[in-house]
Amino acid sequence: MKQRLNKAKASPVNTTTVVVLRLYIAGGAPNSLQAIANLESICAEYLKDGHRLEIVDVLEEPRRAMADGVLVTPSLTKLSPIPVAQVIGNLSDRPRVLHALGLKSHGN
Amino acid sequence: MAIENKLADHRAASAPSRLKTAIQALPKGGMEQRAIDAGEVDAIVDYANSNVIMFPIARRALRHSAIAEDVPAAYGTQVANAVLAALPREDYEQLLSGLESVNLAYGQVLHEEGTAFRYVYFPITCVVCLLTKTEGKRNVMTGMVGHEGMVGMSLVFGADASPVYANVLAAGAAMRMRANRFSNELSRCLALQRELYRYAYFELGQARHTIACMSFSRLEQRVASTLLMISDRSKSQTIFLTQESLADTLHARRVSITQASSSLRSRKLISYSRGAIRIINRKGLEQSSCSCYEKLSNLRTA
Repeated sequence: MKQRLNKAKASPVNTTTVVVLRLYIAGGAPNSLQAIANLESICAEYLKDGHRLEIVDVLEEPRRAMADGVLVTPSLTKLSPIPVAQVIGNLSDRPRVLHALGLKSHGN
Repeated sequence: MAIENKLADHRAASAPSRLKTAIQALPKGGMEQRAIDAGEVDAIVDYANSNVIMFPIARRALRHSAIAEDVPAAYGTQVANAVLAALPREDYEQLLSGLESVNLAYGQVLHEEGTAFRYVYFPITCVVCLLTKTEGKRNVMTGMVGHEGMVGMSLVFGADASPVYANVLAAGAAMRMRANRFSNELSRCLALQRELYRYAYFELGQARHTIACMSFSRLEQRVASTLLMISDRSKSQTIFLTQESLADTLHARRVSITQASSSLRSRKLISYSRGAIRIINRKGLEQSSCSCYEKLSNLRTA
């Protein structure tokens, strides 16, 4: 799983910030299911009600994926708060996902 | 009809080359390429043709999940383990923070006999066999766990150590939870207790049928039943298993497994090559299996 962050420095998300996420998946394909489960687990643990997640199935909406510049699935985009960040893959590397979302692991 | 078949053949033949072209069009050395190398990508968006190209493994999984009616969808997203999927929403959400997604490789040992549990596993597409050690170095399969159950059932009854050796028979995805967290969740969650007691009943029945099957069924019937059981749990008609591994699993001689497999192949029920066994005629294979397979299937859906 690889991540892309823009050059602006990511600030840790505080509890009042609503994190807006969009996850692009390909139906019920294995990596897509894993990405959903991993992301739900992270949201339940770290964001609770402070997030908004939209799941876009590219098999149903390929044109939308193209409009958003998505190249492969699964692909997670953090739209807000800035900086915008992207993580590609099944999101099983939790530290990378947390870093991309501007969250700190409980262990750190 | 003939034209449709030709078109389908053409599409099937051209799919790999389209996928190859799409991969080559991705940014060189980019994170997309690296995610593909890590096996974490299901599909590529094909901008040239305004559609989506699936990777073969993902396409097969979608095809099989479309026909797997016994895997319920929960809460708008698919929870592909039956125990987790049966939980009420609030209980499932409580468990989520302790669940971790893992890919399990063929041959991976999840529990050693007599050692303490570190994790419990909820299989999604992987299949785990439970082996009991016999005299000498050989093990015999006394249970098989897929998306219908959980590996680490002894914890449900308060035992901290595993009485069996749990080994991954078919690689795939699973969710896991630390053993101490699981014990806490189990004592709190009545719905989880109910589902796992129900599964324990099935696992006990499976062990009893396995003993009966080993005593009375012909090896060919046992091979057919085992292949069907793995196929059901992995949701795939292709099983990546060598005949040697099958011999170990069924506690049989390799040459006997070869004879049984050859017989099934000659009747065009299965095909096999280099560690992959493919079920060609499922109905025929079911008719060739022992009655234990049908009884266990009924028990599972009861």
